[in-house]
Amino acid sequence: MTTRPIPVPPRGAEVKWHLSPPYSARHLLWLVLIVALLLVTGQRTDMDRMVAMTTQAVGNLIGVADDSQVVRGLSRVGTAMWPPVIGEVEEVNRMSDLDRDRLPLFSYIEVQERVEQRMNLETLQLEAATEQVEVLVKPLGYVWTVFVKMVETLEIALWGTLLSVVLSIPLAYFAARNYSANRFTYTAARGFISLLRSVPELIVALFLVLAYGFGPIAGVLALGLHAAGFLGKFYAEDIENADKKPQEALEAIGAGKIKTLWYGVLPQVLPQYIAYTAYIMDRNLRMATVVGLVGAGGIGQELKGRFDMFQYGHVMTILIAIFIFVFLLDQLQARIRARLI
Amino acid sequence: MIRFESLNKVWPDGTHAIRDVSLEVPRGQFCVILGPSGAGKSTLLRAVNGLMQPSSGRVVIDGTEFNARTQSVLRRRVAMVHQHFNLTNRMSVAANVLAGLLPMVSTARAMSGWFRPEHREKACELLAQVGLSPAHLKRRAGELSGGQQQRVGIARAFMLDPEVVLADEPVASLDPKISSDILRLIRDAARERNATVLCSLHQVELAREFGDRIVGMRDGQIVFDGSPEAFTDECVESLYHGAVWDDTTPEEAAGSSLALGTTNVSLA
Repeated sequence: MTTRPIPVPPRGAEVKWHLSPPYSARHLLWLVLIVALLLVTGQRTDMDRMVAMTTQAVGNLIGVADDSQVVRGLSRVGTAMWPPVIGEVEEVNRMSDLDRDRLPLFSYIEVQERVEQRMNLETLQLEAATEQVEVLVKPLGYVWTVFVKMVETLEIALWGTLLSVVLSIPLAYFAARNYSANRFTYTAARGFISLLRSVPELIVALFLVLAYGFGPIAGVLALGLHAAGFLGKFYAEDIENADKKPQEALEAIGAGKIKTLWYGVLPQVLPQYIAYTAYIMDRNLRMATVVGLVGAGGIGQELKGRFDMFQYGHVMTILIAIFIFVFLLDQLQARIRARLI
Repeated sequence: MIRFESLNKVWPDGTHAIRDVSLEVPRGQFCVILGPSGAGKSTLLRAVNGLMQPSSGRVVIDGTEFNARTQSVLRRRVAMVHQHFNLTNRMSVAANVLAGLLPMVSTARAMSGWFRPEHREKACELLAQVGLSPAHLKRRAGELSGGQQQRVGIARAFMLDPEVVLADEPVASLDPKISSDILRLIRDAARERNATVLCSLHQVELAREFGDRIVGMRDGQIVFDGSPEAFTDECVESLYHGAVWDDTTPEEAAGSSLALGTTNVSLA
């Protein structure tokens, strides 16, 4: 067998290679443009005022500035919100179904004196009238109410996630280019996914409350629909990007689309699917506390009601509860993650 | 019997992968298709199970022409062993082998994984035949070595008792010792069932050892067709030589192949 030498340039030959520097005038121009754009948008969004007011607030706190609008506003709200409401007091004669022998846990009946200003019709003067009122005191009553609402929030998140998984599986199948039946089904599925993703949960919930009335149904549907768009997109892209080799092997023996998907794709993408679903669960838990603001059930509905009645003490209790809830969830998630990995 | 009738394949970019190939392979033959990279070996094999649509010409398997109508029936009779094993890596060995039965079982059975006992037994028998042990059944396919993965691939290919086995460079990524083990497994399993084997290879020694017949391909054309004995060293020389270097003479290659001209390479 004849051999050939590996080609090498002859000695002394001129090498005409050229390595250009990494930055040029064009990059500088881009930099100037980007800075200009940032300045314009910053001015439009009042970023200059934000910096000024924050500086003033910091100055007021350390005793340099006399007055600060920010500090005044925050302290007014802060004073109104403290202390958080823990118990509940209800007048007995307004409760129709009270069984005196079987009071709720930890609660007791008490007689309180109430002083009321009444107009004396003869003298036309306000007089203080003292009244004996029998009340039912529940020392942890409001905390319990909030707890029940929190559980409802959790349930909304759970069912929203379940619904989104169930909805997104057929969506993902049709939105995956290599599995969709034809161009029409592909475009339709992709369009529907974009539609679901483009409308935020709160706005969906706003309309669903009109359709289904106040309560958790609207919340579950809103979370489920929005997350179905999310999951549908991610699932579909995973199907499209999955390793083609096992799929080819199953196609070669004529296994059919569904079976190929089940045996050639699903085992590969399952870990990613679980990760996406866990993310959606986490997201739904946080969103479930918010959708109640438009009347779709859960803790948000309670929050909105108290806020509108200026009962800031109650609001504080709810905010603390939400914080504890999210904190516990993070801890739980860290535990689960540590166990799985 | 497989018959290729003046088969042509032109890729969309204008590459002529197969030029007017006509070939007849009788039932039960171990036919090795030999040739340098890019000769069109894989493309020819993939015409037999429709993974590649020929531009013109046709493939006839036991008197039935391969087309869109007969595809689903014919694909069940044609098994394939792949160069990169093409197993589902995150699935168990057992499930990978049972996947070879998918065209035969109902969707409900496939999705639940509840295969018939005789099918499960058959999977075990085949795995034993290719030299794996019961301990491998539940392992993930991706954890096995290359040689073991190809054994699983062979077991999967024979689940449907195929009449034709297409082996597309089945040992390209395996070491020489394992390569001949694997080819022996394919040959023996095929002989037992009187199945035809079309096996593309690029190792001349293996082709001579295992082939009943050697078909040499270059540039999409058949340039040799005969018994292993007739495939002499001169044939090897003419098959491999010049195919890749054809457009440059040694003088040119020595003088100018690195003169690429001014090339701008930017790291930005």
